[in-house]
Amino acid sequence: MAKLFDFEQVFTNIPELLKYLPITLELALLATFIGLVLGLLLAIVKMKQIPVLKQIAALFVSIVRGTPVLVQLYIVYFGVPMFFKYLNTKYGTHLAVAEIPGFVYAVLALGLNSSAFSSEMIRSALMSVSKGQLEAANALGMTYGQALRRIIIPEAMTVALPTIGNSLISAIKGTSLAFTCAVVEITAQGKIIGGRNYRYFEVYCSLAIIYWLVTVVIEQILKAVEKKMAIPEQVESYIEQKDEK
Amino acid sequence: MSLIEIKDLHKKYKENVVLDGINLSIEQGNVIGIIGPSGTGKSTLLRCLNQLEIPEKGTISINGKEINLSSRKNKKEILALRQNTGMVFQQFNLFERKTALENVEEGLIVVQKKSKEEARRIALEELKRVGMLNWANHYPRHLSGGQQQRVAIARALAMRPQLLLLDEPTSALDPEMVGEVLDVIKKIAAEGFTMLLVSHEMAFVRNVSNRVIFIDKGVVVEDGTPKQVFSNPQNERTKEFLAKMYMLEVEPEYII
Repeated sequence: MAKLFDFEQVFTNIPELLKYLPITLELALLATFIGLVLGLLLAIVKMKQIPVLKQIAALFVSIVRGTPVLVQLYIVYFGVPMFFKYLNTKYGTHLAVAEIPGFVYAVLALGLNSSAFSSEMIRSALMSVSKGQLEAANALGMTYGQALRRIIIPEAMTVALPTIGNSLISAIKGTSLAFTCAVVEITAQGKIIGGRNYRYFEVYCSLAIIYWLVTVVIEQILKAVEKKMAIPEQVESYIEQKDEK
Repeated sequence: MSLIEIKDLHKKYKENVVLDGINLSIEQGNVIGIIGPSGTGKSTLLRCLNQLEIPEKGTISINGKEINLSSRKNKKEILALRQNTGMVFQQFNLFERKTALENVEEGLIVVQKKSKEEARRIALEELKRVGMLNWANHYPRHLSGGQQQRVAIARALAMRPQLLLLDEPTSALDPEMVGEVLDVIKKIAAEGFTMLLVSHEMAFVRNVSNRVIFIDKGVVVEDGTPKQVFSNPQNERTKEFLAKMYMLEVEPEYII
């Protein structure tokens, strides 16, 4: 009789799964990046109370937060091609829907999902920067955009960093659903391996180990970045160079 | 012709009228102390002059160029106005994530588009002027309130504004730090910068200004030399205010 649990398999699976780790990481990083950029826009729309856009943003956030990621992946994967097909038939355009790889849909769906969750955290980070600094920047003659880029976002970043780490980690776990869009990343490959030898449980254990280790590495990187970004406790006094004229 | 001319400035918050028609002409080198009871719009006046607040009505002309303060439409005009005026805030408002040097350089690089080297040279010069050169590498959180305010003054001066606005620069400071900031203000006043100074340090206003205006209920009720205003006020409200502040006919207690 075959073994109930093949302990060795758990580890022999890992090298084959790791081949697909780059796909997982690419998906997660791109989705987080899209999430941050779009989340920043949503946060600014809400902060500046821009009419119409504000309502659209609120509706978007509400829908995305109120539906599962898996359903969102399906909707993007099937909905976007249908929309293009509609455009093609209605306007006689030749948008090559079939050539868009599933990867794009997965990134799009995960990015949109991430943006809805990021927007509130970005908004609170932006609001944590004292209003006086914006006034000071304005008084110097800086535009809102310049103040945002040079003063507000750098400070808000340090406040938001731990939560950005959180959304990166949840994006990594979200990528395990990307098989929906026919993207083979590590979980998908795991299912393929499992289908080959019916050792599903072993391969899921291998996946758990990989995800966990990746998350631990990311946590450590973030800690290091946080430390680097912190304002130093002490600095050397400036000594005037007498010969420098 | 006067350097700066403020005409008919009105500002209200809902029904609360704060400024009710301020007219003021400022000559080159004027150091104007603005005094008056709390809530009479002294700070609002300064904040309207660089459009941190938008008044309902009013114009300012600098070097003969008139700008309508009540409109936010013309972005270019606002930026030009803000570059002609420098602001020193009660709460310092230094950029938290920048060193003292970077704080002073920021406007020079971003707004005036100066080269990194030149901005650095000017910034170091200004920090030296306020006695903060040795602290150039320090971040605001390393500095005391008085030191932060001196850096903030250097930041405003670096932009070479035509008019320097000081909004209660010592009100947020511990008493023992007030002196160092007042010393710096006195020094730059002596160097000929044109300034509007809102302050509750009566003795200092009397000492440093060459002109004092008293604002009450949103209008200028007294305007003259420190001696005229403090020793021989014409208006009843001024007399009452100064009596309350124990300043009428009292020799200054603050002497540098």
